[in-house]
Amino acid sequence: MSFMTYLGKRVVRMVLSLIAVSAITFTLLQMAPGNFADIQRISAGAAQFGGAGTEDMVHAFASRYGDDIPAWRQYLIFMKGAATWDFGPSYKYPTQDVQDIIAQGFPISATIALIAVALSLMIAIPIGVYAAVRQNSAADHGTMFLITLGTALPNYLTGVILVLFFTLTLGVLPSSGWDGPQHMIMPVLALVLGPTAVLARYVRSSMLETLREEYVVAALAKGGPRATVITRHALGNSLIPIVTVLGPLLAALMTGTVFVEALFRIPGLGLYFAQAAASRDMPLLMGTALFFALILMTMNLIVDLVYGYLDPRIRAAGGVNRWRRSQKNPQQQPA
Amino acid sequence: MSASSLEVEGLRTEFVLRDRVLRVVDDVSFTVKPGRALAIVGESGSGKSVTMRSVMRLLPKTGRVAGGRARLGGTDLLGLSERQMRKVRGRDIGMVFQNAMEALNPTLTLERQLTEHLLWHGVCDRAEAKRRAIQTLGDVGIPEPEQRIRTYPFQLSGGMRQRAMIATAMVTQPSVLIADEPTTAVDVTVQRQLLDLLAQLKARGTGVIMITHDLGVARYFCDDAIVMYAGRVVERGPIRQLLERPAHPYTAGLFSSTLEVGARHRPLQPVPGAPPDLAHRPPGCAFHPRCGQAEQRCGQEEQPLLPWSEDGQREVACWKAVQHV
Repeated sequence: MSFMTYLGKRVVRMVLSLIAVSAITFTLLQMAPGNFADIQRISAGAAQFGGAGTEDMVHAFASRYGDDIPAWRQYLIFMKGAATWDFGPSYKYPTQDVQDIIAQGFPISATIALIAVALSLMIAIPIGVYAAVRQNSAADHGTMFLITLGTALPNYLTGVILVLFFTLTLGVLPSSGWDGPQHMIMPVLALVLGPTAVLARYVRSSMLETLREEYVVAALAKGGPRATVITRHALGNSLIPIVTVLGPLLAALMTGTVFVEALFRIPGLGLYFAQAAASRDMPLLMGTALFFALILMTMNLIVDLVYGYLDPRIRAAGGVNRWRRSQKNPQQQPA
Repeated sequence: MSASSLEVEGLRTEFVLRDRVLRVVDDVSFTVKPGRALAIVGESGSGKSVTMRSVMRLLPKTGRVAGGRARLGGTDLLGLSERQMRKVRGRDIGMVFQNAMEALNPTLTLERQLTEHLLWHGVCDRAEAKRRAIQTLGDVGIPEPEQRIRTYPFQLSGGMRQRAMIATAMVTQPSVLIADEPTTAVDVTVQRQLLDLLAQLKARGTGVIMITHDLGVARYFCDDAIVMYAGRVVERGPIRQLLERPAHPYTAGLFSSTLEVGARHRPLQPVPGAPPDLAHRPPGCAFHPRCGQAEQRCGQEEQPLLPWSEDGQREVACWKAVQHV
């Protein structure tokens, strides 16, 4: 199986999954009580719609947005649009198309997420390796205690502490908005702690497992300096399981973090997603849900490709064709 | 370096547990001369592997060498700094492990694993290292070494992997090779080929230490043997004499518990019981609870390793055997 066939199969599977996700999301939303008009009526009062009878208003609203036709037709209309990346206008922001909202919000959320995860990795890998190499020492217990603390601290709380310190006490960073790198620092820092804690734990346990492998002893027996053996022989192999965690983690952060975006008033995707859910803004909700699924699947695909890059056994079994030679070898064992 | 003897004298290794100290290797001595092969025989848990890890100074964190010497060409390895010791590992003493699938890194190519220690030790540059690696792979009988060097361990068959493992140890031309059960994980036909390969190495002047519980393998390949039980040497001597006329009841027991083709007349008699837990070492001779010939004395007094043959080549640690001389 060549690489392109492999990739093709994966993409087909992704499309089928997306259709399934859309159908399930749509059905669940239809089954849930209440709709956009109801919620608007309750939260804003009927006056906004001219003060007429509320029932009439809801009907007017429904016909305006097509909510009066059968659900299955609504779904088909939506999917026809979705196929061409056109989700139609949002209920709540009628002047904007959903795909435009995504196009505006996603780069912002993704930038913060990528920087935060990269930073997390840079902190978590050395910490995890250090703790593993000094297993059961005071240093190990100490770092792991701090890490547990990090996991327990929610990011909005970290965010508040950061604002208190950098904005109110030092006055060096703006507390809200999105205009240049100085606006990125605090959101990124607020987001870094959680993933760092999770990743450091994974790195530590994975590293501990690898350090017990016989090839590590064998490398030492060949006269390898300890640091070299740890970085070249142990680290590479212990990072393979980390990649698995990384995919969903990146996907979750890239599609927006509600609390942090709300706290720092960042026009990211998370904020829109939360508002869409609260106000039952169907197009926006369906659009963002599908987009989230798409990002998650893409991340998982990337993870699998990175796997192949890191582990030649997976490369051979998964069918990246550079290793065709080994496939022909009847003695080769599957990974 | 070539043609140096490894002389181990009175080696003691301990494991420090939470509340006590276990002596895992107790007063073990042996010599491996260039071009000779020594078998270290014993059941699992007898301290064979720990002895060799002590010499290589690759004990786990809880282990420590408590006494003795391990001289290689006059230098005591146990007194070297870690930095100096690193230069001995892999260059002067090579190590072959039981299972190449586990002892070779699954995600690194053979090239990397065959050349990296040449570079660590500054033996030669990368290009020369690769040339030597290909040469050695060919020497151990791997076909198309130029292509195979680019593959990963999992792409080789079990026998080929074990050969590659041996090549890894051979490529630096060490004066001593430690082989820890090198043929246990492969089938019999491959076993024979690997032993012949090690024999070539021996013929070129490498001293070989083979840790094994397979007496057939030991007899085929080794010149001398020490038999270990519960961390101590219970018998030593030239392997043929040892197998023809074992002096220690444990050696005799090991021999009669080994299956051998063409020895149908000999009944298979496993040694009864299990090796002792070192935390509860029996008093006197550690073997006496399992020994068919044990007397009262065996459970009371420790017996030292005493000469058993007139030429002094054989020694045994058994009261009863010494009485018979």
